[in-house]
Amino acid sequence: MPDYIKTSTKKKEGGKPAEKQSNGGVFPELIKYLGPIITIQLLFVLAPLVIILLFSLLQTGAYGKIIYAFTFDNYMKLIGGGYGMVFIKSFFYAVQTNVMCIIVAYPLAYYITRYGKRWKMFFIFMIIIPSWTAYIIRLYALKTIVGSHGIINNCLMGVGLIDTPIQFLYTPFAVSVGLVYTWLPFMVLPLFAAMEGLDSSMWEAAEDLGATPFRRFFRITLPLTRGGLLAGSILVMIPALGDWLVPYLLGGSKVMMAGMVVAHKFTTLGDIPAGSCMATALASVLLLILYFAIKWGGREALEQSL
Amino acid sequence: MSPRIWFLRIVSILAYIFLWAPVIVIIVFSFSANKFGIRWEGFTLQWYYELLDNQTVWDACIRSLVIALVTVVVSTALGTLTAYGLYKLKFRGKQLLRTSILLPIVMPEVVTASALLVFFIKVTPLTLGYPTIIIAHIVFSTPLAVFVILGRMQRIDWAWEEAAMDLGATRIRAFRRVIGPVLLPGIAGAAALIFPWSFDDFVITYFVAGIGNTTLPIYIFSQLRHGSSPVVNVIGTLFVLFTSVSLLLFMLAEKKSRTTMGT
Repeated sequence: MPDYIKTSTKKKEGGKPAEKQSNGGVFPELIKYLGPIITIQLLFVLAPLVIILLFSLLQTGAYGKIIYAFTFDNYMKLIGGGYGMVFIKSFFYAVQTNVMCIIVAYPLAYYITRYGKRWKMFFIFMIIIPSWTAYIIRLYALKTIVGSHGIINNCLMGVGLIDTPIQFLYTPFAVSVGLVYTWLPFMVLPLFAAMEGLDSSMWEAAEDLGATPFRRFFRITLPLTRGGLLAGSILVMIPALGDWLVPYLLGGSKVMMAGMVVAHKFTTLGDIPAGSCMATALASVLLLILYFAIKWGGREALEQSL
Repeated sequence: MSPRIWFLRIVSILAYIFLWAPVIVIIVFSFSANKFGIRWEGFTLQWYYELLDNQTVWDACIRSLVIALVTVVVSTALGTLTAYGLYKLKFRGKQLLRTSILLPIVMPEVVTASALLVFFIKVTPLTLGYPTIIIAHIVFSTPLAVFVILGRMQRIDWAWEEAAMDLGATRIRAFRRVIGPVLLPGIAGAAALIFPWSFDDFVITYFVAGIGNTTLPIYIFSQLRHGSSPVVNVIGTLFVLFTSVSLLLFMLAEKKSRTTMGT
């Protein structure tokens, strides 16, 4: 075969990744390119998870000293004690946050995709900016806004709707608002990424054929953005379930969540076995959610929306 | 204009107000003369001057900068290498590896943080401080770099690399001379994304920092425990400004990488 034919066939394949097929030849390459990340994953992601699983089976003695004896005590306390309820409540908060984020993010992402025109990237920029920085300071600012002498109460009192400040702070309501505030952008971005890839003539055709907005949403938008929805749910629900600062700052000691208990055990009490137990339980719930979300097809959208 | 579009528009506007209100409060009160940073009492630049003299803030800031810089360099290098491997190679367990790389992004920070803390103090000989903070930051930043860069790789015309290698370039040389430059905006974008992320991280850093290694977010946290302060509002304002610039660079890099590749 003359040389030029070879190159021309090669060019055709050029668009696709030149993947190595045989497993024997791939090994040295694998080590060369992926060795470092595999090492990091094994050493600093998987090993620590195994370690907390092991430590969760140990006992705590006086002054937070660890007794190296095998026990299921921590898990018994987790289920039997008040923490079981904390877990269930956290789960409820996470689901609620996810639903709220979906309700707000769909219209927002849809509006940006269809009517953003050349301002599209600017609108997205305006969503990323407030969410990417000064996290603690923003939460405190939110606290100032909803506080009893905060802007909302002052406005309501100024207008004369209420006489005494409403206690928003340290209520489940404040925690819900804080969670939606923190995680909303992580729902908007994957949904936007999913919608951006769609051909807008579909909506136009549906409109022309007289489909109601309701029907358009359930027959076109929702099925076609399922991946984005799953990706967004992974990015919102899992971190929300383990959030520490939102319940800590906005809920005070009135609203407990799982992430807060983990942080309390570690940073305040230094009780490693009990903290590990909580963290392990949390991690296993999350891995379960992640497993199903990926099984239903959320991975690709998740990777793309990053 | 139909009422439906008005509905969409109102929801969007409310969402933007919701997201921006705390930021605007921070910026406005950083100029307020009120000592507690929660009420408007006239314009002042006093808190900005006070920040300039605050040695503790500067120390914390430099600590955070060093950590973020090292994290950015290591994570983007590692991210590029990994993305290249994931893109080029086909092997068993690839999906598992990809999922495992996603873990540090989706895991709540307290889980990652506590797992790393126990691992560091009980298994490794490391003492809590710079090394542990930097390792932790690399762990949660690298996945971001991997998937941002992998996304760019999927849009590149790889025929160029093949052409270079047909002409006798080694894989490394082909990468350095051909693919690298095309990929550069994507890599720069990943860096611009990771820098503020690492700089702003509180939860994981707080767990693995040990005693005395106060980064800027940890300093802010300790300050705000005693109630809000105007100096913290100033830091917040500068944070937002700094991130805006950083992310603007990311978006420009993104735009450039799209036009150079013609997709």
